[in-house]
Amino acid sequence: MSATGLEVGTQAVADRPKRRRFGLREWSIVAIGAIAVISVLRLVTGADDIASSGALAAAIGLAVPIGLAGLGGLWSERAGVVNIGLEGMMILGTWGAGFFGYHMGPWAGALGAIVMGMLGGLIHAVATVSFGVDHIVSGVAINIIGLGVAKYLAARFFNGLPGGGPTQSPPIDSLPDFTIPGVSDGLGTIEKKDWFFVSDVAAVLRALCTDVSILTIIAVLLFVATWWVLWRSAFGLRLRSVGESPVAAESLGVNVLRYKFLAVVVSGGLAGLGGGFLALVAANIYRDGQTGGRGYIGLAAMIFGNWRPGGLLTGAALFGYTDAVQLRGGATVHAFLLLFAVLLVAIGVWQIVRNQRVVQGGLAIVVGVLVGWWYFAVDAVPAELTGTTPYVTTLLVLAFASQRLRMPAADGQIYRKGEGH
Amino acid sequence: MKVAAVMSVAALTLAACGDSGNGSGSSSSSSSTTKKSDVKVGMAYDVGGRGDQSFNDSAAAGLDKAKSELGVDTKEAAAVNGENEAAREERLQQLIDAGYTHVVAVGFAYAKSVGKAAKDNPEVHFAIVDDASDDSKGANVDQITFAENEGSFLVGAAAALKSKTGHIGFVGGVNVPLIKKFEAGYIAGAKAVNPAIKIDSQYLTQPPDFSGFGDPAKGKTAADGMYQKGADVVYHAAGGSGGGVFTAAKAAGKLAIGVDSDQALTAPEAVRSVIMTSMIKKVDVAVYDFIKSASEGKELTGNNIYDLKAGGVDYSTTGGQIDDIKSKLDDYKAKIVSGEIKVPVTP
Repeated sequence: MSATGLEVGTQAVADRPKRRRFGLREWSIVAIGAIAVISVLRLVTGADDIASSGALAAAIGLAVPIGLAGLGGLWSERAGVVNIGLEGMMILGTWGAGFFGYHMGPWAGALGAIVMGMLGGLIHAVATVSFGVDHIVSGVAINIIGLGVAKYLAARFFNGLPGGGPTQSPPIDSLPDFTIPGVSDGLGTIEKKDWFFVSDVAAVLRALCTDVSILTIIAVLLFVATWWVLWRSAFGLRLRSVGESPVAAESLGVNVLRYKFLAVVVSGGLAGLGGGFLALVAANIYRDGQTGGRGYIGLAAMIFGNWRPGGLLTGAALFGYTDAVQLRGGATVHAFLLLFAVLLVAIGVWQIVRNQRVVQGGLAIVVGVLVGWWYFAVDAVPAELTGTTPYVTTLLVLAFASQRLRMPAADGQIYRKGEGH
Repeated sequence: MKVAAVMSVAALTLAACGDSGNGSGSSSSSSSTTKKSDVKVGMAYDVGGRGDQSFNDSAAAGLDKAKSELGVDTKEAAAVNGENEAAREERLQQLIDAGYTHVVAVGFAYAKSVGKAAKDNPEVHFAIVDDASDDSKGANVDQITFAENEGSFLVGAAAALKSKTGHIGFVGGVNVPLIKKFEAGYIAGAKAVNPAIKIDSQYLTQPPDFSGFGDPAKGKTAADGMYQKGADVVYHAAGGSGGGVFTAAKAAGKLAIGVDSDQALTAPEAVRSVIMTSMIKKVDVAVYDFIKSASEGKELTGNNIYDLKAGGVDYSTTGGQIDDIKSKLDDYKAKIVSGEIKVPVTP
């Protein structure tokens, strides 16, 4: 042992350089800053829908399935298994929600979605953990199997039911949703006043307390629970150690394969519930192809969030929000051009002044000026491009936040029992 | 108990499936004894197939009518989501190899494969629904298209007549020329009634991403936005995503317009009350025409346009919500039929 770091054998492992911890205070500063920026943008461009409670409520609805899929990915990858099969597990979940939801009520639908997703997770676990199949190969297979199985089951079980057919289930009863009566209306009044910042905060709060589905609340609780289990419990420490260094974990007596297996099955259940949300809350119906690639986006949101629940939540929210405003149409996407332009120029200046990266900085400024020119030159963004808003935004934020991502050290590696001996 | 209930329901469903299978088998054999026709019709559905409560079901209705009235032999096959060109060619070729003399391909996705199959098999007759491009052109091809813009004009006029806020919306599934035709007619119809009307248009996805035809969550988000901004009638041409539009209308207490079939009859019961009318596209009529004239020895070829005049498109009156404006709509209908009003095909 030395004063500066831990010595393993002859190699000195230096302490990590001290970094600011991103705690509750930093998060609230980011949140308030984001609302302020949006508020300014709303006043400057006159795009009212940019911070309306309707847009934010839609954003929550679109973010939950992405977030749940990402949460599934988080469990699996923290245990060292890459799960690109989230999409397939979500599809199984949509069918489970449709079938059990129709026959036994929406709560059974939610459970059915979890169980169907877990089945998908089970296949992935058996393939990757027990048989050591490459994680990507198995994941892609799950996506194809999930699609095929759901189609087959839908044709088999929904055909001939009232309102059902080979591509859709009969309608499912709704799950309860909550509105805080007086508060929602009061905030609505403040929102309509169009005050700088105050109205936008009111809109955010109103979206959070109007017609919130019980499944949304459960999803938020699952995020908190995941954070607590994985980062605050001994079980979670072992699970993460399996993803970081399975050899070390096994030498300390952790049953590596069991933890990996469990994590992948839980992962499937969460992705399945994400699919269940689509069928039960977003649509009240199982519909062929309704996941629309959200499993992949969930995976991207998880990577965006640096394999952490908080970051993942931010990524899912960003995706949900940008997708909601582009789907709701109007001038919002056009207003975003101005925001992009300002952000890009700011990044450019920052890169040149602080990091002396003249080429990158110059490039960012040039692109920023071009985007700004685009904003002033046209009245609306062509429809062909508005659909890309979520992706462009994510790329920009990633560039702005500078890449500091670190995935679990043994993520994606195949581990066989007793490998380290 | 509940598990037992589900099991019994599942068993019933299985039994029902078995029954329908037997039924179709026996009916085709009985038809051969009663009325035999030389025409054998193979039908290749678009994604969704029979039972999609929309487009494919409409084509299936035409086929069923031909089967019971003309006694033709039939065989059906359906496409799967995201399949490639080769899979569609293969499907058509299989029908031809099985001895089917007339092949109906449902949906513009088949354009290229029909063109190819028609060249390779000059003795077989083809019909393709929703395509009139050069890809599927041939001496033995009946290109069936509809004047969706004319039908959409009528529901656009209905929307404008029913709107109290002077603000209506349109939700398109995927931004393709076919759906733009719906939008163009809708806008023209609404503007004919009220030139100052405000119309929000939104497409859910851009090609080649066709998920916009099957994603109710997106349909709901788009329609929610329109209703919250003041629109009180929204027309959808978004296939399966339209269910989300109806849900949004129900939640907002406003109105919606259905598409392709009379959706006030086919949509889930809970949302039927918000569907004031639907733009009906009579694929069944066109399919039946093709088979009927074939059985009479007269093959249809070239581009046959089913417009308002030919009764290929129309609006529905189920629910009685537009009874008060029916005379005005029928005036517009007469003007379109007589050619006094020309409805544009692009917005």
